[in-house]
Amino acid sequence: MKFKAFLTENGVNLLERRFLPALDKMGKICHLFLTRDHAFFLHNLLSGDGIQCIAQFHKETLFDDYRISSQNEDRIAFAIDISILQRAVRSSVSICSEFGGGGSTANRLQIKLVKKLPPNCTQPMPFLTFETKGYKSAVIQDIPISKPLSRAQVLELQTALDMAQDLPQTLVQVPDLNQLQNYIDRMKHVGDLLNVFISKYGDLHVQVATTLIRLGTEFRKLPVIGEQAVAPSDEQHLSAQSRSERAVLRGDAQSVQVSVKHFSKSLQCHLAKPDCAFYGILPQSACLTVIFQFFVPGTRQTDKSISLHCRLPVINPG
Amino acid sequence: MSSSAIDAEAPDLVCQLDNVQGMVDALSAVRWKRQQDAVIELSEHGIVLIVEESGCLQGKVYLKRELFMQYEYTAQGRPRFGVSLGLFVDCLNTFSVPGHSSLIEIRYPGPDMELLLKSVDSPDASIYAEIRTKIPDTISWDYNFEPAGSTPLSFTVKSAALKEAIDDLEWPGSSIQIKLQPDPPSVTFKGEGHGDLQIDLMYYVNTDLLIAFNCDHEVSYRYKYKFLRATTSNIPSSAIKENRGSKLTIGRGGMLKVQHLVSVARSSAPHPHIDSAGYQQPSRIAFVEFFVKPEEDEDTVND
Repeated sequence: MKFKAFLTENGVNLLERRFLPALDKMGKICHLFLTRDHAFFLHNLLSGDGIQCIAQFHKETLFDDYRISSQNEDRIAFAIDISILQRAVRSSVSICSEFGGGGSTANRLQIKLVKKLPPNCTQPMPFLTFETKGYKSAVIQDIPISKPLSRAQVLELQTALDMAQDLPQTLVQVPDLNQLQNYIDRMKHVGDLLNVFISKYGDLHVQVATTLIRLGTEFRKLPVIGEQAVAPSDEQHLSAQSRSERAVLRGDAQSVQVSVKHFSKSLQCHLAKPDCAFYGILPQSACLTVIFQFFVPGTRQTDKSISLHCRLPVINPG
Repeated sequence: MSSSAIDAEAPDLVCQLDNVQGMVDALSAVRWKRQQDAVIELSEHGIVLIVEESGCLQGKVYLKRELFMQYEYTAQGRPRFGVSLGLFVDCLNTFSVPGHSSLIEIRYPGPDMELLLKSVDSPDASIYAEIRTKIPDTISWDYNFEPAGSTPLSFTVKSAALKEAIDDLEWPGSSIQIKLQPDPPSVTFKGEGHGDLQIDLMYYVNTDLLIAFNCDHEVSYRYKYKFLRATTSNIPSSAIKENRGSKLTIGRGGMLKVQHLVSVARSSAPHPHIDSAGYQQPSRIAFVEFFVKPEEDEDTVND
């Protein structure tokens, strides 16, 4: 089992400034799953509860001279602490920047999988090692990782990953992630469960309802991907609640109940600076999905080499 | 404005407010603990919110009708209802997301006697809330405040200084004596508990601190620290920033009245109608009042 690669400048920027801060909010520990062509950061795919988060990068987005080999179709997976990884990347960046503006920083940040005997241990332990060559110094940082996953566990992870690729039939685009985050953070004080309604008309309606209060935010006329419908014109004067209920009865909307905390966490992905975000509900209310879209810089074209989405467990199907 | 109610039963009150943050600030000033039941009283003059604790402390927030963009009151008598203060404030907070104008409509009662709130400025992104109301508890003790004599015993102090003084008195704790004396004109806060701490505010010496002082004879009463603390623990940061004063008056029997002023002016975004001096209209102030009963037995300092 071997893995060795150089982090590209773009890769370092993506990880350090955008993805690792976002992924850190999803949970301390994640699986890093490396295949011949892709690197995945996976949260909660094997544990079943909690918010699942799937970040996928094409190898060239992050790495240069990417070499991987294993007896399991060149797939390697292990658990890693995101905050330690983030610290290692950050300090590598500061060492690299010793070069100043002049020289190229290419091929100065190597990462590889190693087994080492830590001090006071009798058993060698696996590490992900960062080797950074600065102007005057070279620094090696060993990030402790879990034992690489067994063949059966990797298969389980791959299966869970394949299952997590289902797309909702209707996706609505969130107008402003920061604003939604602000609302949700305030709604968190009022209750623990969030009712989410998504309609084919482009409505996104989130609501906290307890015995004492019903507090909600409704966004209407949002851009829709997938199945769409035209909103009935005679329901404009109705309350958000009755409009949503009628749309659900007509089969034009779905609703699920999720944890406010999970919803708020999913919004933390805005730290990865996506260009758009879409929410949708899977058939049979299996889960609430949020898909983040990244554009090729300077264009409105989807960057297919990066993908990020979260799946929120449903507490009560609507 | 197209708000003439067409419903079969017109609600008691429909009003619109453009500065939710100001209302949140004013209501938070009387929020001294997590779970607090409040009574809201509606009238043609405005909205009054009242909270009370153990027959010794009452907090009141007056939101005059002038604070509202629109105030349509149709009820007979003065409707009163109970709400959870914490829930009400947390809920209002959702309406004051920064960077967005927050014009809200408040309506009472809803079909099931709820208090209804909704944002009214953008039809495609709206917020709404329905807060269940309760039949209000009868207020256990009447906080009728009567002047102690012909000259009111009162002083006005910078809100920030008052808060600081009361925060400092936390160390001796338990029971705090407030003494006003005409010669030399001064106010003394004295705490005796785990230790002694005395804070003297001298009139004339520092006019920035003690802004006004009225007292013709020496008077002194003791108040429970936790009640005094409640009167300043949540003075909104806006009142401190605007360098406002708080007025304290001692009434008959030692009843202490503490008054704060909280600005409910239009949100700070530059507004074409603000006059050149930048001053807000004086009417856009919410009054926050506390009434604290003195400790009955002067000798006991036990908590």
